Amino acid sequence: MATIELDKIVKRYGKIEAVKGIDLSIADGEFVVFVGPSGCGKSTTLRMIAGLEEISDGTLKIGEDVVNEREPKQRNIAMVFQNYAIYPHMSVRQNIGFGLYTSKLSKAEKDKRIEDAGKILGLEALLDRRPAALSGGQRQRVAIGRAMVRDPAAFLFDEPLSNLDAQLRSQMRIEIKRLHQRLKTTTVYVTHDQIEAMTMADRIVVMKDGNILQVGTPSELYENPVDVFTARFIGSPSMNLVAGQRTGAGVSLVASGDLLIGVRPHDLLARPTPAGGNGFSLTGRVTAVEPLGPETLVHLDTAGTSVIATARDKFVPEVGRQLSCEAATGSLYLFDAGTEKFLGRS
Amino acid sequence: MTVSVERKGAALARPGGMRASGFSMRTKRLLWVWGFLALPILFYSVIRFYPTLQAFWLSLTNWDLLRPAKFIGFTNYTKLFSDPQFWKVFKNTFTYLILGTPISLVLAFAIAFFLDRVRFLHGFIRALYFLPYLTTAAAMAWVWRWFYQPPPIGIINDVFGMLGLPQQPFIRSTDQALYSIMVTAIWAGLGFQIIIFMAGLRAISTTFYEAARIDGLGEWAILRKITLPLLKPTTVFLVVFSSIGFLRIFDQVYNMTTNDPGGPLGSTKPLVLMIYQTAFNSYAMGYAAAQTVVLFTILLIVSLLQLWILREKK
Repeated sequence: MATIELDKIVKRYGKIEAVKGIDLSIADGEFVVFVGPSGCGKSTTLRMIAGLEEISDGTLKIGEDVVNEREPKQRNIAMVFQNYAIYPHMSVRQNIGFGLYTSKLSKAEKDKRIEDAGKILGLEALLDRRPAALSGGQRQRVAIGRAMVRDPAAFLFDEPLSNLDAQLRSQMRIEIKRLHQRLKTTTVYVTHDQIEAMTMADRIVVMKDGNILQVGTPSELYENPVDVFTARFIGSPSMNLVAGQRTGAGVSLVASGDLLIGVRPHDLLARPTPAGGNGFSLTGRVTAVEPLGPETLVHLDTAGTSVIATARDKFVPEVGRQLSCEAATGSLYLFDAGTEKFLGRS
Repeated sequence: MTVSVERKGAALARPGGMRASGFSMRTKRLLWVWGFLALPILFYSVIRFYPTLQAFWLSLTNWDLLRPAKFIGFTNYTKLFSDPQFWKVFKNTFTYLILGTPISLVLAFAIAFFLDRVRFLHGFIRALYFLPYLTTAAAMAWVWRWFYQPPPIGIINDVFGMLGLPQQPFIRSTDQALYSIMVTAIWAGLGFQIIIFMAGLRAISTTFYEAARIDGLGEWAILRKITLPLLKPTTVFLVVFSSIGFLRIFDQVYNMTTNDPGGPLGSTKPLVLMIYQTAFNSYAMGYAAAQTVVLFTILLIVSLLQLWILREKK
């Protein structure tokens, strides 16, 4: 186990800077998730930590050592890839054992580690099968097993669940999290899926265009996003944004105000009859409804802006009608319309 | 090897026409399928399968183009197996096979493996290696004949002379001729094998190599544990393909030894050249057919044996 320190890490491809000097320190045993859209530099950063990409500038420390010039093996990290990278010509046992290929352990010790990893991951019955006979989730478990047996200083995950279907993904999410709670190994996890980030991370690192926008716990990011990008990236469905301006203590909707008012779909409630509180309210025409069972997402067209609200208690408004939605005081996020920076809650 | 035959899968899933013509959908599809298959089946039956079967029959006759063929039983075969010339040719053919195939495959793999990593002039170098494959065997064989001449014509002996090494007779020696021809045959087929190996190497996902680097494997271990096993389908294909090529070797030998085909003293003569001479110099068609049947059997056994040895182990 170890800490990981990134100090002004830069990655250049020719003249293009893919990662623009990022600083981050990851504590021992922490589960950190890098999240961001495609091309934001999150995978490149992970690959630099792994040693698969050269670091153009800056220093990387794992534990006490600067590892910029070390081979992946010498960094004592283990990595799980999106397409699993398990070898089709080896059995599950051989694949897991491959992590110990260069290890100096005795044969019996190696076998024990493989058996243990198989047990933890629920692969005992499959140890002598070939990968071709496994499902996607099982293959990913084999890949995790190969990483585990090494007993590495840190686990690196590169979008490990992206090739799985939705149900398996949510199941594996929990399994990886449980595994982390059990092993307490420092983990860096890259994903473009904000749900994975929210559910698994101790801390989330939001990246965009090679920069870190914000680092924080899931609830910090959810409650206090630094800007519009983070606010819309975290939370599903994305936060609604409408133009507005300050009026005394509150805010009001104006077509060209100096504020962007953000309200999360879960806070914007559509009711059959408006409660008429003194909170924030929006009126628009219903363009579509998505019943999810316990609640219904209502898409509204308000003066040209599309907004999503939530209807609870089995209320499903019909498409085409005018509807008022309300958000309680304190649930609004205010952003500067020009810089898109977060100004505070209202 | 596992072969999974999809049970009429694709054809059944395809949308069919209407029932108007009176045939059921299934019958109509069958008519289409067999309609398309009829032409190649006819072609292969007349051009390939019939002559093949005819050769089996001819091998049991004494046909010499002039008189009608007369059934003589296994006389041709007994004559063949007691002919020292045949055993000489048999040995030559297998020397081409047993040395040629592994040497050419190892060379091709080594070149493909390193060429795969070269970015500088990659396309140009690959084209250079492929060029011999596009050249006719006759032209190539003549150029190599010149290479093998004594100095000052022969460039190889020239170089030997400069280095102070003794001159070599190459294709004029009964000991060296076969190997000299084998070199040109290997060189001629190399381009094709390199291209196929490189395609195989490219098809291996880079994450396999990255995962192996993280697990700390060295270059040699990666080659042995990952590259070669994952390259097996390509290797099987090339081993079979190249073996058949060496077993059927003819044009290289014929063109490099035109004065005395298969010479000197039959030391380079492969089976196909013997068949050619028996049939078209001696006009002993029945005897040549018997030799063809033997070659066919050897090709069949060698191919099946290789497929069995290199099969996917479950």
